[in-house]
Amino acid sequence: MPFLESHLLGVIVAAPFLAALALLFVSPTRPGAIRAISLVGALVSLAGSVHVALGYDLARGGLQRAERYPLVPSLGIDLSLAVDGWSVSLLLLTGVIIVTGVLASWTLTDRPRDFFVLLLVLVAGVFGVFVCQDLFVFFLFYEIAVLPMYLLIGIWGSRGKVPAAGPFAFVWRRFDVGGREYAAMKLTLMLLVGSAAILVVILALYSAAGGSTFDLQALARARFPRELQLWAFPLLWLGFGSLAGVFPFHTWSPDGHAAAPTAVSMLHAGVLMKLGAFGVIRVGMLLLPEGASYWAPTVGGVAVINVLYGAICALTQRDLKYVIAYSSVSHMGVVMLGAATLTVDGWNGAIYQMFAHGMMTGLFFALVGLVYDRAHTRWVPSMGGFARQMPWVASFFVLAGLSSLGLPGLAGFVAEFLVFLGAWQSQHYVWALAGVLGAWVTAVYVLRVGRDIFFGEGPRSDEIHHLTDARRSEWGALWVLGACLVVFGSYPRLILDFIHVATLEYLPRAAGAASALLEASR
Amino acid sequence: MSELVQVYLPMFLVFAVGAAIVAVFWLGGHYLGPKNPNPEKLQPYECGNDSDGARGVRMSVKFYLTAILFVVFDIEAVFIYPWAVLFKGLGWTGFLTMLAFIAALLVALAYCWKKGALEWES
Amino acid sequence: MNLLFGLSPFLAVGVGALLLMLAEAFGKPNVAPGVETTDAGAGRAGELALGAAVILVIGAVLSVAVWVAGPESLPELTQVAPHLVIDKFTLFFSFTLCVGGALAALLAGGYLPEHGIDRSEFFPLLLLSTVGAMALSAAGDLLTLFVALETMSLGVYSLIGLRRGSPRAAEAALKYFLLGSFAAAIMLFGLALLYGATGHTDLAGIGAAVRSIGSPGSTVSAGKILISLVLVLVGLAFKVSAVPFHQWTPDAYEGAPTPAATYMAVAVKSAAFAVLLRVLLVGFGDERLASWGAGWPPALAVLAVLSMTVANLVAGRQESVKRMLAYSSIAHAGYALVGVVAAMRSPEAVSAVAFYLLAYTVSTAGAFGALILCGSRGAEAVSYEDLAGVGKRHPAAALAFSLFLFSLAGLPPTAGFFGKLYVFRTAIDSGLYTLAILGLVNSVIGAYYYLRVMVYLYMREPAPGAPRAVTMRSGFVATALVAAAIFVLLLGMAPGFTLDMASGAALTAR
Repeated sequence: MPFLESHLLGVIVAAPFLAALALLFVSPTRPGAIRAISLVGALVSLAGSVHVALGYDLARGGLQRAERYPLVPSLGIDLSLAVDGWSVSLLLLTGVIIVTGVLASWTLTDRPRDFFVLLLVLVAGVFGVFVCQDLFVFFLFYEIAVLPMYLLIGIWGSRGKVPAAGPFAFVWRRFDVGGREYAAMKLTLMLLVGSAAILVVILALYSAAGGSTFDLQALARARFPRELQLWAFPLLWLGFGSLAGVFPFHTWSPDGHAAAPTAVSMLHAGVLMKLGAFGVIRVGMLLLPEGASYWAPTVGGVAVINVLYGAICALTQRDLKYVIAYSSVSHMGVVMLGAATLTVDGWNGAIYQMFAHGMMTGLFFALVGLVYDRAHTRWVPSMGGFARQMPWVASFFVLAGLSSLGLPGLAGFVAEFLVFLGAWQSQHYVWALAGVLGAWVTAVYVLRVGRDIFFGEGPRSDEIHHLTDARRSEWGALWVLGACLVVFGSYPRLILDFIHVATLEYLPRAAGAASALLEASR
Repeated sequence: MSELVQVYLPMFLVFAVGAAIVAVFWLGGHYLGPKNPNPEKLQPYECGNDSDGARGVRMSVKFYLTAILFVVFDIEAVFIYPWAVLFKGLGWTGFLTMLAFIAALLVALAYCWKKGALEWES
Repeated sequence: MNLLFGLSPFLAVGVGALLLMLAEAFGKPNVAPGVETTDAGAGRAGELALGAAVILVIGAVLSVAVWVAGPESLPELTQVAPHLVIDKFTLFFSFTLCVGGALAALLAGGYLPEHGIDRSEFFPLLLLSTVGAMALSAAGDLLTLFVALETMSLGVYSLIGLRRGSPRAAEAALKYFLLGSFAAAIMLFGLALLYGATGHTDLAGIGAAVRSIGSPGSTVSAGKILISLVLVLVGLAFKVSAVPFHQWTPDAYEGAPTPAATYMAVAVKSAAFAVLLRVLLVGFGDERLASWGAGWPPALAVLAVLSMTVANLVAGRQESVKRMLAYSSIAHAGYALVGVVAAMRSPEAVSAVAFYLLAYTVSTAGAFGALILCGSRGAEAVSYEDLAGVGKRHPAAALAFSLFLFSLAGLPPTAGFFGKLYVFRTAIDSGLYTLAILGLVNSVIGAYYYLRVMVYLYMREPAPGAPRAVTMRSGFVATALVAAAIFVLLLGMAPGFTLDMASGAALTAR
């Protein structure tokens, strides 16, 4: 199958999209066929991603499997696809998450066809971002990945919401804070502001590089003037950062995640937020190395706030989904922290944290969805003792929690360890200390929430006998994600080798600029 | 500039004097005249019937239609005059152009006719 | 012969308009047996709409044909210059205008009978107004400019008032007529001053005269030129409905039959932008006037920022979708003005504006069309509440509506995205970073109210007991929507061809 082999990346991106198209011709009254088609689309992408990973030549490194389809030749826009080590790992992550996401929404009954169409379009955009080598198409895919979120949350979001509390409760009530429409609109508008900032920078870079190409490699060679880099980098950082949950542009994320249906939370926290961080590193730090090294201390400082603030917020939340959502904010801070260190270990850790956190938070949201589906509440104080009815759910929750707080042997540990190591090497000792502190707070809230829900005597312990453990397809989601956490945690080289190859190739550019800056300042 | 002033200054002086006279009489009447208003005096009419009906005279819309049609078809003369003066120089092109123009007018006339715009009684 | 071929888009639509007029007056009324009518056009909206659409499509096709043949290879066309300048710029705009007019005609074919507005004059008037609009985009002389402007506007004044017996429509028509004539008078005064100052009525001659200011022996007064520039700008700002000359827009759109509002939003605006570009670049293209320090760019930049900001802020607070779309059209005038400002430095900006207006035309016509489709007789969908639950009752209409709103909001992969991208790219190329950033921020604000429609379409149910707008079924409206959707997706996914065409339009405007 030479055609498949030479267009594999195109197939990976197109498979979910084609599945979505096919769904449009299926009668909405046949949920079985709808689920089957969606699963096939997701599985094709996953299989393709695995094949890409197995076939990636580690010794050669660099960009492989380049494909190019002209799109708008007059502006120099091509659909050019290729993978490097980072893309390989993130492709795998996306493949796993979408397959488990489809499995987790197997029981969806409200307009399943429309739901899966949007879900698949979204994931096609995500795959596109990870393999795209053309800045403009990168942005297009980015938008395609972000926009379906609006409808997914607005239509299928959960109706339950946090009761307004605190001195500003009347304001929250006025805007219907916590409602799904509010969440969907807030998320979309904040991300669109970010997109606007990104678009300005993209156009400015295009213009500064001669206005003939959007090719990432060509732009990376362009060596932009220092002034441009200095103002463009923060715009990109905030633009992409709004998706990555960078403080203070993270506020859409808890509302959005809490309101979103299970599979969407999984995809969003698991993959979409990574798009933002990936954008900061792949576009911001590689195209604008001088800007990146100038702003790195700021990026790192804000990331520290993210880590600590997110963790403390998670500590105070009583709504289960908000706890997990704030933990995502905190963990995305670790990613940005790793990126800001501009060291090999830091970058390896950042990408690995994307991978590990994706798996972990995917598992978390799948579990939360399960609990909500059974107990019809997300309010932690009203739960308790669920472990007797759903022992496996409890076990997986503990597993995800342990990975989240960085227990050695699980994927989360590898990532956080590398990031803190990188922070130490870059002589930002405070960052490393703050990161460790964040991990400690994480341990507190994760273990406490786990205890409150699954163990101990809840206030409703007599009413929980109807709760059931995971069923049929849900098992698939839980086992796959859980297994990934253990396997990649105990043998990190499976993924780390890919990441390392790419980091070694890319870092010298950014770090070279950093040392040049150091020279200049002396 | 000075030329302008010389030419128009007398005219402006006349305007100014006229305006001044009007102002003096009007303001003088306003301030010097005795005023003893009472309800009787404030009525629009001191005697006669109460007024009735609308203020303006209503004209049939047909008048407007006729007037606008007259204007529209009268304009053609404005175009045809200069054409007639230059008729020889313009040659066949000019002739055909004017023919097209008049054809368009005929279409418009036919349209008005068929639509009943030319009928007074209806 | 070549001359006729070069003028064929104009002739086709003009002659077609006259023929359609006769067909309307001399046909047989199509009314139920027993009903007496003196109006020959009664009940014939369908066939006349089809005729008008066909004529306009022919006009569009001929525009493309002349484009392909290349107006520069038709030397006979100089005979009609500068009264009509047939270049690629003109042809691109006449294509846009014909497409916009055809979409409006199709919408009217479904809308007028559905809502009991049995006025078949609509279609000849639409065609005649389109001829005016096309001539306006071709006008290289002050005389043709003004005559074309009035031809275009007179038709529109009557289109707005067609819903006789509705005080809203009467108010709308009167308001638009008064303000429109007022604006035209202001502009005419400007044009007269311009002629007085330069002794030329052709724009190229005016441009040359303006360039001669300051050189020894020039008698052209800079003060008069500036005053006339301001007056002309004010007049045209009325026509493109830029803030603060936009007050008539929401009322006129709301009172007008929706297809007439569509036509105003797409064709009148596009034609006004065409003439704005030509007047500014050809007549006032002098470096001293077309610079950031003085002249029209800073004034237009202020208008652009005001239009975008004010319209977007007010649009979000509307309860009527029709008014929202009216404000959205004002905001889009602002985005396009950004491109006009950028045209002072980059010739490519002209093509950006041309492309933007084409994208805007198909998206806006589509959005109005989808709105028409959402309400049937007696219950025209105008407010957000009327749209509640349409996503379930009529998924196709909701899907189409969403697509056009996405395009208006400038989200990929639609025509509107590439339009905005192209405009803002030329702005950034010209160093107008602030304008570009303000524009992008505004398009985000705009996304809020476009998305709000989708909230109602998909996420709300109609209130119990509330009158429920029943979606109408009409082949005409459906055809228009499909055509517009194809354009929106084509320009959004494969814009290369059209972009190339638009960039051809740029070179000849100067």
